[in-house]
Amino acid sequence: MKGLIAKGLLAAGALALTTGLAVADPYEKYRGTTIVVSWPALSHFKKAEELVAEFTEETGIEVEIDALQYLKLRDRQLLEMSKDEGEYDVVSWVVMWKGEYVSKGLLTPLSQFYTSGSLVDPSYDLNDVADAYLQNGGVVGGTKGYMPGKSGAMYGVPFGAETSILAYRKDIFEEQGLEVPKTYDELRDVMAKLHEAGIPALTSRGKTGHQVTAAWLLHLAPLGGKIFDENWNPVINSPEAVEAAQVLREVAQTGPKGIPTFGFGEAAAAFLQGEAAMHLDTLKIAAMSRDPKLSKIDGKVGYALHPVGSRCGSETGGFAAGIPANAPNKEAAFLFLQYITSKKGDQRMVELGGDPVRISTLQNNADKFDEYSVVAEQLPCADPDWRPLIPEWNELNIDVLGQALTEVITTDKPIQPIMDAANEKARAIMEREGYYVWQ
Amino acid sequence: MSEISQKPRFEPGAFTPYAFIMPAIVVMMGGLLYPVVMAFYLSFYDWEIGRKLADAPFVSFDHFVRMVADPQVWEVLWVTIRFGFWTITIEMTLGVALALLLEKPIRGASIFRTIFILPLMVSPVVVGLIWRYLFDARIGWINYYLGVWFGIEPQVWLGDPQLAFFAIVFTDIWQWTPFIFIIVIAGLQALPSEVVEASTIDGANWYQQIFLVKLPMIKSILVIALLMRLIDVFRGLEVMLIMTGGGPGRSTELLSLHIYNRAFDTQQLGYASAISVLLIAIVFGISTVILTMANPMKSKSDV
Repeated sequence: MKGLIAKGLLAAGALALTTGLAVADPYEKYRGTTIVVSWPALSHFKKAEELVAEFTEETGIEVEIDALQYLKLRDRQLLEMSKDEGEYDVVSWVVMWKGEYVSKGLLTPLSQFYTSGSLVDPSYDLNDVADAYLQNGGVVGGTKGYMPGKSGAMYGVPFGAETSILAYRKDIFEEQGLEVPKTYDELRDVMAKLHEAGIPALTSRGKTGHQVTAAWLLHLAPLGGKIFDENWNPVINSPEAVEAAQVLREVAQTGPKGIPTFGFGEAAAAFLQGEAAMHLDTLKIAAMSRDPKLSKIDGKVGYALHPVGSRCGSETGGFAAGIPANAPNKEAAFLFLQYITSKKGDQRMVELGGDPVRISTLQNNADKFDEYSVVAEQLPCADPDWRPLIPEWNELNIDVLGQALTEVITTDKPIQPIMDAANEKARAIMEREGYYVWQ
Repeated sequence: MSEISQKPRFEPGAFTPYAFIMPAIVVMMGGLLYPVVMAFYLSFYDWEIGRKLADAPFVSFDHFVRMVADPQVWEVLWVTIRFGFWTITIEMTLGVALALLLEKPIRGASIFRTIFILPLMVSPVVVGLIWRYLFDARIGWINYYLGVWFGIEPQVWLGDPQLAFFAIVFTDIWQWTPFIFIIVIAGLQALPSEVVEASTIDGANWYQQIFLVKLPMIKSILVIALLMRLIDVFRGLEVMLIMTGGGPGRSTELLSLHIYNRAFDTQQLGYASAISVLLIAIVFGISTVILTMANPMKSKSDV
């Protein structure tokens, strides 16, 4: 600390001498301010705590972190943000909540900070932030309300954002003489072969509600399916959607025991503990597999693109962070967001074992981590429409799809009627919410 | 005569009992009545967390109409009834049997009693966590020992509708049988020994002694135990929330867990409140029926 101050003083002195101007510190005004950050208790964010400490040391802005299990964040944040004066200065949301937060008027548009030259770091380079991440997590109000489009506005920056890649056990694939699947046909073939050899194939989420739906969506996009057509008519009983459900059923049958009870943590644990040969979900698995506290398979994992069906389409998910409308320290909060997602902050996240959001960071570190080049190649395929981030999504996700897909993976009933019934329910919800008044 | 009418109008002593029950009434009003009234109020509005309650649109009886026609509500009600039937039947039988067994001074009775009461002392959240991991398909002890001892294939206990239902019934029995046990054993020990002795002298066998003497004498205690368990069945959600979250499907989603999921997962607070009103009505109905059939408090106050 002392050394740093001394260095800082020296540097300041040198600068003052050379330019003859007093050195400005953009953080000076906010020194001693305490901001409160609400974010999930996930690996990436735990690693970020060190970056936060560095931020405090450098800027004098104190940070208090309130970490919760990630699906519990929403209730807490909604309650806090609906007060007249909130506690939180920074909230980190799962991208699927962004529409709800903005429609309820709970977030501050970041444009109001970008008009201020005293706040914006000129070297930040927003264009370097992966566009799929930025659009998916931070921009609200574009096409259909959640996709890129001219009516969109920026409410958050991606931090802990992700897409999906295939992680597989190199040793098992070699032992079994298997090729890494590039297409869904190959994937299904590999699953069957591994199952025959008595090896649990692909781990997956499968718990009733949000989790099982997330698992199905991962297959829906590449197989060419969607939730809605252009006129908000649900199409979750389309042939593509039924095929995705069929794939999910096969995954549950050939994967590790207990998939219908797995949330993200359990599904990842099955892979990390060496009880599944493949993991097809968030890229977060890569950093987790290198963490000796979580993983028994460090060094044995290979990475490949999310297999392709009728098109390439990986998930766009994870987290973005923004500033509540009722935050007490908005400007300090903006400086915090800018710091942790700056080029330097992003690079530090990589060093700390987290996941970067910048293309330059992925490129600069491609030789260090196997998955970075795969991620960089995967990102253009990341589908911003792989799930509809509309306020109604929670009900569709949990109550309709989350129930129907449980039936798919826990029974042998024909899939088409299950999805037909779900489609009817989805339509009724959209009707109730007034989506068809323009037709 | 005249002396009575001259009694001072204000007698401080008469208010003493009211002064003493006042704090309890205040707490009950604040902690019990207010939420219930709010639940009624909310059930007529379509409110979401994050919006102002004052701005919530009034929907009159819409939620109630929707509830009556909602197959999901009937499904979870049926799950709750099945759950209540199995748990309460088995818990009452086991609890009473254990109490009768340990009533007599046998060697180590106090140790057994302590062991049997232990599950009752564990918080429901911890119970949920313990059993969730015991039943875990991948790392659970239950699967492990079933495989080692009986050669049974690992089962996905919490991921199969039937097995998950069995698992939550089993867990509930584990936790709540001691409750019946402790209440019944207290009742049995309070029985006048003369009656039991008299029945022995009259030549009653063990079966007659239990079913014709002992159990009828602790009937009021059994009714209270039954009532409390019934209300618990409709109230409880922690264990299911942690073990299965209600899944797979809605196979372990009890009514109160359904309300919780509606309110917080899908953010339909008004609708969830309407279902809570149904819950209050059901519990109120059950309590009234049971208490009219056999009211332990009434018979005591008559004495």
